[in-house]
Amino acid sequence: MAQENLEKEERVSASAPRRPIWSGSVTIGLVNLPVKLYPMIYDKGVSFRFLHKVDGQPLKYVKMCTKDDKIVPWDEVVRGYEVAKNEYVTFDNKELDAIKPESDRQIRISKFIDYFSVDPVYFGKTYALMPDKSKEAYSLLLTALERKNKAGAGRITLRTKEYPALLHTYRGALVLTTLRYAYDVVNPQDFEDLKKLKEPSKTELDLAIKIVTDLSGEFDITEFEDSYKKRVEEIIEQKLKGEKIRVEKPPEVEAKSLMVALRETLKQLEKQQ
Amino acid sequence: MFRLYGCVFFSKKEIRFASINFIKVFWCKIVMEELKELTKVELKNLDKIFYPKINVTKGQVVEYYIKMSPKMLPLIADRPLVLTRYPDGVDKEKVSFFEKNAPEGTPPWVKTKTIYSETTTRDINYVICNDLDTLIWLANLAAIEIHMPFSKVNTLDKPDFLFFDIDPEPPATLSDAAEVALLLKDKLCALELTPFIKTSGKKGLHVVIPIVPEHTFEKTRAFVHKIGIELAKESDMVVSEFKDTKKPGKVFADYLQNSPLRTMVVPYSLRSTPEATVSTPLQWAEVKKGINPSDFTIFNVVKRKSNPWKNIFEKRCKLEV
Repeated sequence: MAQENLEKEERVSASAPRRPIWSGSVTIGLVNLPVKLYPMIYDKGVSFRFLHKVDGQPLKYVKMCTKDDKIVPWDEVVRGYEVAKNEYVTFDNKELDAIKPESDRQIRISKFIDYFSVDPVYFGKTYALMPDKSKEAYSLLLTALERKNKAGAGRITLRTKEYPALLHTYRGALVLTTLRYAYDVVNPQDFEDLKKLKEPSKTELDLAIKIVTDLSGEFDITEFEDSYKKRVEEIIEQKLKGEKIRVEKPPEVEAKSLMVALRETLKQLEKQQ
Repeated sequence: MFRLYGCVFFSKKEIRFASINFIKVFWCKIVMEELKELTKVELKNLDKIFYPKINVTKGQVVEYYIKMSPKMLPLIADRPLVLTRYPDGVDKEKVSFFEKNAPEGTPPWVKTKTIYSETTTRDINYVICNDLDTLIWLANLAAIEIHMPFSKVNTLDKPDFLFFDIDPEPPATLSDAAEVALLLKDKLCALELTPFIKTSGKKGLHVVIPIVPEHTFEKTRAFVHKIGIELAKESDMVVSEFKDTKKPGKVFADYLQNSPLRTMVVPYSLRSTPEATVSTPLQWAEVKKGINPSDFTIFNVVKRKSNPWKNIFEKRCKLEV
């Protein structure tokens, strides 16, 4: 079953990019492993362009002065940091460039940890690491991590931002997942709604557990589909053919009202007998 | 920098979208699981449109039959049913077909009865609907119209209904049919019979009399025909013979269906009209000029409190012929 799912995933996976976005090395203590970094995550959602309804021409964004509504050219733009209401400290691009961290082209691994000990809420984006020159060293690290089921924790500077990162294995490859900082993630216990959460009653809990057990199964990512994207694509097809578009009710509404009707009718029929 | 940030921002939105979708899928699964516990029928494609003109879905049709079942089931029990199926919805350009034989894949819990057909010289395996699950199963098969004969399965050649099909030929309307039905009612009551009435769901009216099943169809057909002839004598509007049915503006009192395995649409069956009209049992007080088929549709018949054909078999008449 799991094998089947993997094969299905392979069929629907995104195609591999040609060019690396970064090259450098993985540093573990004194050891260096030269690698290239490729993007691995795509957002193939639906995107639209804004057009002018009257003549169908594409629209663009412009920066306008809030005082006289005149378009401001790029060379007259600076960045302002608001220190008090309507008071800004300004920076021009050169000033900011001068203090940006330079990538030192290193993925510094400080220790090896259990991959599952990192909660997915911290996961950012994942990149594929490919061997640059030395395939042996790459294979060595890959095999060792796979055997021990471990991931390297460290950091990387991509473009101009430093990220915590996790070096781990995925389908026979080394991959790097950037992580979020602790201060970028909300602690849900800080919500008022969770204060004084009631314990469920035993019968309710039994029912909920039954539903969860009944619906338990293996995870198969290919079962999921962006139904909005699919629908948009269908409509595009129809529009290209010049068909009319009909707005339909979502199916779960049907099932829900059916359930209610069935419950009531069954009671009624019982009474009749 | 801008591009990377852009991506992170977008993926957050995607995550939110995905989780909403997940809840929907999860909720839908829970509901479908609960449905499974309530009915043996494996319901499918509930969002399919069955009545395109008014956007009524298969789910709504199933829901209609569920809600009508307490009134319907006692009326159609133990009768071999004939179905009209509309797998692609009620649409003149789409396929629909009559079905007498229980279709392939009929689950074992659906009651059927094999009856030898002399006209086609072969066995026909009819569906019998005595319970809610079978009714839901029929709706799930897109058997939107259900028809039944005038005798029960164990006494097939002994009808327990007399049937008058009051069929107006345009420009005559349902309103004219109502006028004829009232004449008919007076006539039948004078003979100490108890007539019941329903709309056909199309342009006509159906008048039935529950009788003790002891006569042959030959006898009942002759009786109904006789009443029709008398009516035609009394009213210019009425014709009693098949050859006159296409005379414009006339109302035909049809007796011919009083034959073995001939059928009428069952009470509360939906019809294949664009407006999803229903063959609706009426109180006699409702039968009057100005009555309109579109007053009785999938939307308003469920709201009707009255049950005019309730306990109809307890009011069986003994027919003297």
